[in-house]
Amino acid sequence: MKKISLFEIFKIFFIIGIQLLGGGYVIVPLLKKYIVEERNWMSEEELIDYYAMSQCIPGIIAGNISICTGYRLRGFMGAVAAITGIIAPSFIAIIVLANILSSVVNFKPVKDAFFGIRISVIILVLVTIKDIWQKSVNSIFTYIMFFLILAVLLFLPVSPAIVIVFSALISLIFYKIKGVKND
Amino acid sequence: MIKIYFLLFYEFMKIGLFAIGGGYASLPFLFYIQQKYQWFGIDELTNMIAVSNITPGPIGINMATYTGYTTAGIIGSFIATGAIVFIPFFISILMVKLINKYKNCSFIAGIFLGLRPAACALLASIGLKLLYKSVVPFSSNYKSLILFIVLFIPFLYFKKNPLLIIVFGALGGIIINRF
Repeated sequence: MKKISLFEIFKIFFIIGIQLLGGGYVIVPLLKKYIVEERNWMSEEELIDYYAMSQCIPGIIAGNISICTGYRLRGFMGAVAAITGIIAPSFIAIIVLANILSSVVNFKPVKDAFFGIRISVIILVLVTIKDIWQKSVNSIFTYIMFFLILAVLLFLPVSPAIVIVFSALISLIFYKIKGVKND
Repeated sequence: MIKIYFLLFYEFMKIGLFAIGGGYASLPFLFYIQQKYQWFGIDELTNMIAVSNITPGPIGINMATYTGYTTAGIIGSFIATGAIVFIPFFISILMVKLINKYKNCSFIAGIFLGLRPAACALLASIGLKLLYKSVVPFSSNYKSLILFIVLFIPFLYFKKNPLLIIVFGALGGIIINRF
């Protein structure tokens, strides 16, 4: 098979990056269209594997899946091309927007709009909490984890990184104990 | 300045390593950075979150670029964005190499059993703090409370569309501040 060019990889991920709006999982149908269906560069099974994997490792899901796909297509440099391609559109858009915003942010209508947008952000955060809650807090163990950590966080300024490491350890211990029982 | 670059890299590398569970997972980390270093104000941070939501691209990447830019200009945005994908980059490559060995990562599923509720609790603590700061009467002005209640209605109907919630928020903010 002909070697896929790095620029081609960058270009496709750039195009996908422009179309990514909202959650990271939106990238899956886009990759399916551009890489699996239109170009036949890899199979749909591989894509699904990479998606599953991207969720169980640290990092932004859309970023991880781009790195995996890029690596699969052209090795290390392919991964670099894919991740820079997916990042570039948001990078440019944010820098442009940041500049526009900083020059208009002191106008009263803009200030007022952001006053309201801040309330929107609270609602968005609440919606996200509800979504994660419904998917993941559903057993005695998960209820305890949630309320214990929330209680600690409300009263102590603990670093989020410590919370994550701590709960990973607790979960692993819980999983081992439960696993032994099942045997 | 060099020190800020270094701290930016360190903090965003940590986000890349520990923020688990979708685009909003990095929020608790950003609030932590805000509190620890005061590179930007809380209001500025919420503005950045809103803009990241309505800009194309993964939200996590957008927020890293934006906060990096606000903190230390264009170099800051390069550092923050590079740092957030730094560790996942190598882990992803490793995973592709090992994929056939660990296809069903069952012990990882075990870890996630408690990690997701933890991520949820992290976000909930931020949500409660934001609510307290801007919506609870007496701790802020009554306009925020009115707006919050009014915005909950479009939220009930368009709950899957962040763009609409933000547009409604902007309009609501402009209208309510006329009185």
